[in-house]
Amino acid sequence: MPQTTLDTILDGRRSQPHQLIEVLQDVQAQNGYISEEAMRAVSKELGVTLLEVYRVASFYKAFSLSPRGKNVITVCTGTACHVRGAKLLINQATAQIGVETGKMSADGLFTIENVNCLGACALGPVVTTNTDYHHHMSPGKMRKLIKSYQKNNKEEAANE
Amino acid sequence: MTEKVSVTIDGAIIRAPKGLSILDAALDHGICIPHLCRVPAISDLGACRLCIVEHIQNGRSKVTTSCTLVVKEGMVIHSNTEKIKRLRRNIAELLVAEAPNSRAVQDVAMRCGVKEVRYPFRNNNCILCGRCVRICTGRLGEKAIGFVGRGMDRRVVAPFDLKSKLCRECGWCSDLCPMTMTPCGGPMHKGQERLCTNCESKQTSLDQMTGYCVACYFGKGFQCERHPERFTGIEE
Ligand code: SF4
Ligand code: FES
Ligand code: FES
Repeated sequence: MPQTTLDTILDGRRSQPHQLIEVLQDVQAQNGYISEEAMRAVSKELGVTLLEVYRVASFYKAFSLSPRGKNVITVCTGTACHVRGAKLLINQATAQIGVETGKMSADGLFTIENVNCLGACALGPVVTTNTDYHHHMSPGKMRKLIKSYQKNNKEEAANE
Repeated sequence: MTEKVSVTIDGAIIRAPKGLSILDAALDHGICIPHLCRVPAISDLGACRLCIVEHIQNGRSKVTTSCTLVVKEGMVIHSNTEKIKRLRRNIAELLVAEAPNSRAVQDVAMRCGVKEVRYPFRNNNCILCGRCVRICTGRLGEKAIGFVGRGMDRRVVAPFDLKSKLCRECGWCSDLCPMTMTPCGGPMHKGQERLCTNCESKQTSLDQMTGYCVACYFGKGFQCERHPERFTGIEE
């Protein structure tokens, strides 16, 4: 598989300011976040001022400006999930991993985020990890979930 | 000579050149509609919402910002109805809560009849009026500072909170920022914010003479053409 780099992302899109969001999306998908260097490069190559790039990147929640962990745990704190105890889930996750929401854990494994309603209120509290959805979550289930990711990572490390 | 149209503002029939905003037309003719984020000769944003007026159209009234409303033949505008005054007072209150450390904001609030602030003071030192941003990106054609973030996180910064290479240090942004005028009693610390009442003497006359220019401090510092110290009366 050919490596996607900033260069390949930018190929064919240089000097086209209207491609800004697409380029940022690709950078986000590739790195998991958009770094300052990436923004500077994008600004230069597309001919968009740095301010504009920064503004767009900071406006959308889909873009992250700081590095994110390998696994992104998103806890829904929308009304329905909140009522059903989303707060407990966040407490459980932050205490177990030892990192605040929105920050990357020291080992680079996790980032805990919260979101306001995933549109699956009947199944609340809802938690997503990367692309998987987990319904009717409880602190206990959360603990097991995080454990399983930690274990997987250890195994992967051992195999290498 | 530019084409002129007739509009009625608060009962006065005004001939204003096409393309002018209602706010500018009113100010040109001595009707003061309180405003804050407008800067003469740069594009209007409608950020502060202080300049709201009632626009009567087909018997229905619509509340809208006069700085972004362009004059049209036969327009009927009311800038000082009870409804407008109530709404405007509320907006001014919110502005003071957001930035009590600006004499300009305090003064405009006084001008709008604010007697107490019913909202918790947030003391954010910025009301997001965008004067700095518009002078930088609009008039001067640079893009050194701008709005970043969204909703509660919206703020004015240079990219990455560093000084931008594009900044020419012209100083216009701070010249135009209402936060540069501290209240007479000095800056207020968190927890001690209050509504300035120093200018209340002016206030009494205001209740009777709504719509008149009261030579507010804001106008003096901020190029309101109506301000007596600024008014030159030269017509282009
Ligand atoms: S920094 Fe000043 S001029 Fe700029 S938006 Fe904030 S209050 Fe307005
Ligand atoms: S509130 Fe959590 S899915 Fe709607
Ligand atoms: S002057 Fe019109 S909204 Fe601020």
